[in-house]
Amino acid sequence: MASISSRAPTSKSLARFLHYCAVAFLIFLLLTPLIAFFFNAFSFRWFYPQLFPKEISLRAWESIVASNSKVPEALLNSTILAVGVTLSSVIIGLPAARALGLYSFRGKRVIEFLIISPTIVPGIAVAMGLNINFIRWGLSGNLLGVGLVHLVPVMPYVVLTLSGVFSNYNPEYEQQARSLGAGMLATFWHVTLPAIFPGIVVASLFAYLISWSQYILTFLIGAGQVITMPVLLFSTASGSNNALTAAMSLVFVAPSILILTLTARYLSGKSSAIGGFGQL
Amino acid sequence: MFRYRIMATFLLCLVLMPLAAVAADDMEGPPGFDNWEAVLEEARGQTLNWHMWGGSDAWNSFVDIVYGGELMENYGVTLNRVPLADTVDAVNQVLSEEEAGVAHDEGSVDLIWINGENFKTLKQAGLLYGPWTLNVPNSKYLDWETGGFLLDFGEPIDYSEQPWAAGAFQWIYDTARMDAEDLPRSYAELGEWIGANPGRFTYVAPGPGAFQGTRIVKQLMYELCGGPEPFAAFDQSVWDECSPKAWEVLNAWEANLWREGATYPATANELNELFANGEVDFSLTLTGTGAARGIASGQLPETAKAYLFDANMISGFSYLAIPINSANKAAALVMGNLLVRPDMQAAQLDTNSLGTGATPVVDFSTLSEEEAQAFADIAAAIVGAADPAEFAALVPNTASEYHTLTEQNWERCVLRDEC
Amino acid sequence: MGFWERWRIPIMLAPTMAVIILLFIGGLTYGTLVSLGWQPIIGRTEISLQAYQNIIFSEQYASVFWQGLLLTIWVSFASTFLSAVLALATALLLRRSFFGKRLATFLYQLNLPVPHVVAAIGILFLFSQSGLISRAGAQIGIFGYPSDFPVLVRDKYGIGIILSFVWKEVPFVGVIVLAVLQSLGVDYEDLARSLGANRWQRFRYVILPLVMPGLLSGSILVFAFTFGSFEVPAILGVRFPRTLTVTAVRFFRNPDLNARTEGMAISIIISIIVFFLVLGYMWLSRRTIRQD
Repeated sequence: MASISSRAPTSKSLARFLHYCAVAFLIFLLLTPLIAFFFNAFSFRWFYPQLFPKEISLRAWESIVASNSKVPEALLNSTILAVGVTLSSVIIGLPAARALGLYSFRGKRVIEFLIISPTIVPGIAVAMGLNINFIRWGLSGNLLGVGLVHLVPVMPYVVLTLSGVFSNYNPEYEQQARSLGAGMLATFWHVTLPAIFPGIVVASLFAYLISWSQYILTFLIGAGQVITMPVLLFSTASGSNNALTAAMSLVFVAPSILILTLTARYLSGKSSAIGGFGQL
Repeated sequence: MFRYRIMATFLLCLVLMPLAAVAADDMEGPPGFDNWEAVLEEARGQTLNWHMWGGSDAWNSFVDIVYGGELMENYGVTLNRVPLADTVDAVNQVLSEEEAGVAHDEGSVDLIWINGENFKTLKQAGLLYGPWTLNVPNSKYLDWETGGFLLDFGEPIDYSEQPWAAGAFQWIYDTARMDAEDLPRSYAELGEWIGANPGRFTYVAPGPGAFQGTRIVKQLMYELCGGPEPFAAFDQSVWDECSPKAWEVLNAWEANLWREGATYPATANELNELFANGEVDFSLTLTGTGAARGIASGQLPETAKAYLFDANMISGFSYLAIPINSANKAAALVMGNLLVRPDMQAAQLDTNSLGTGATPVVDFSTLSEEEAQAFADIAAAIVGAADPAEFAALVPNTASEYHTLTEQNWERCVLRDEC
Repeated sequence: MGFWERWRIPIMLAPTMAVIILLFIGGLTYGTLVSLGWQPIIGRTEISLQAYQNIIFSEQYASVFWQGLLLTIWVSFASTFLSAVLALATALLLRRSFFGKRLATFLYQLNLPVPHVVAAIGILFLFSQSGLISRAGAQIGIFGYPSDFPVLVRDKYGIGIILSFVWKEVPFVGVIVLAVLQSLGVDYEDLARSLGANRWQRFRYVILPLVMPGLLSGSILVFAFTFGSFEVPAILGVRFPRTLTVTAVRFFRNPDLNARTEGMAISIIISIIVFFLVLGYMWLSRRTIRQD
């Protein structure tokens, strides 16, 4: 104690000041690329060496809301996919996560390894292999097929996150509830769900983000028929209209940032959900 | 006089040949249809899946608004434009569906904006619907005999491919930066210019999806090896003799190119951006109206202008094709017919409105005075196009084998320097 | 033991394993067969290593493959290393309590949901020779022409690709490390401090070993992802050399159906390489941690 209070207050506040500077600099670095999008999205005839666009224009935004715009269709497709993939991956993954988090059994390591492996093996190898078969089964070029393929990169994240939560979970509460006469559903709803809720939020966030940003799997299985935001953006970016590309990027990112804002408290802080990745 | 001007400008039909215009009612229907009425009947209510390169928002808006509107209003057809990163994706889709055994009226691609090797791929695989282009009413506006579009990259189109826009290779420069008399007018002069202005020139890397670059190299071969004639049909010995000369010239340029030729722009759009930002002094276009569309859309400075070398500039056409497994052939035929209707062709040209600046393929001698006047008025208002007289330098494209060989070998012999 | 007790775990695992086995293993297996030339649909049922041989040794493709492999390895190692180091540093920075910590942590995570396509475009807007930074430099007179600005995107060494990955992955790994740090509390450090450990020693012998597993998992995910990523190198890369994934997709998009065999072969090669590199990395770092 004595050693701390004997320190000169100036050096302490200097340290604090430097810390603030470092944090501010870090945030600045992380946000600059995002700022570039705002510049571009409102520019017209914006050539080197102008730093700020001389002509401010809403053309890009007009063409996004124009009647012929593909953006609404792409947003709808992306949303259907992301919501569908998120819901189904959590439902599919929840029992497995519970088994992995609560019990030890023979072959557990192998199962864990198999579930993790899609994060290691690149998606293109899988999608290229599925391509022809999906066409034959009528799963190519529609939302169902694309959604199924999105499950492959999503499942490991969902199961890992949830099993991390289950490993800190005490199932005895369920038995107590059951012994007090609660049914299976009631027990799940009133006991299990509240306990694992932070984990479900984080798992859903990952599932949503992975599906929402997926380009190459959608491209290979969607066969150009399923226009999602990444597919549309990639095609627009190959054109030369930076303003449109930038405006579209902002539209694409906005929902994710909103969702992150709503769920941020589960990501950091005391929540152990993300600790699931420590188990790889 | 105006008629001379349009024709000189766009070099569409050199010879005016009155066509025996066939009336729609006694015209035979396209394969699978008794007559045109049957096509219209079946098209009503269909959704047309038109797969086209999506990198130009000028094209996207034009297709959606002008064609989409017309299809819906007058034909009851819903247009679904499917944007592609590269036309080859649509070809692949058709091939994959065929491979997977999809029935011939259940395919997902109804219409493709196509040409060159992609057309040849489908044709050789027997996956094209047709012949149909003579069986749509508006085909009477095209000069099939001398219009020059019966060969696409040397490949007979067999009336399975509908021409709808003419293109011509042009360079783009900035009149604020350079005077017209200082411009290089041949590849030899360009080489000197590059030597005198290090770092100020580059070209699009030839390759799939970047055919503009391939065209630059083929034009160089024309200049080095006696013009277009030797390349009209494929001859391996011509390639073996000529290509090393071209690689030599291109490799000699490298030291003075933008980024010392370590890398090249991957697309014409990328080159355009470099040009607009003053990183290089030349861009290029294949659109007949030169810099007009780029100026209107803000992608090019207002002082940009197109020009041509004195010789060996390649011209060509954009086509439409219908895959054999298209589920909505009637709707596709309606669209094919619509594309060459004179008022649509004029709308396409008008860069001051929604138009893309694509130059028309219709034969002006088949038009009424009023229809022709519409073209003349639009042409007069266009800025940034090349001087009409310069279009005398236009020559036909090579056989597609040279195209493929150039794409395959440029990377190895110029970029990787392994030859 | 009743039926439910015996089969409980297999039943719980079944839905997830169905997805993994049918889609993941199934796709991979079929892909491997295709890469070996087995395409019954077009009447090819012979198995051969022709495609692999063609890619690895032929005059046409050998340098595309080998240089692509080098670039891919370089890009993913550099991105992973930089992301891990910066993630640790920034997590330590944000871990201390200070006024506005919640806001700072939130802003730190802000690019977590930014898709890679968008990240790549953002890096292009910023770092190209006529990009925002170059323009800022031109305004204050450092650069006269775009060509005065260093080549940082669409460059031969993949700098732009690495920049984009690092920008994206630092918060990703950082959030994992931060979660671990926060769950630790300060007890261990207090203990170490009371034993006389200085700042460096506390970091090296207390914090580092504790966050290492999280950092390790995070960087494995980053490494595997960057190795197989398509969008970022496709937007920010050059024509030659290309990363292996971009080459594989190019082959796959070739209308010549035989080229698919080559495309498949490259993606199988990528999978095998990533797989063994990750195994080796895990083994090496587990050993290092244990030695501590």
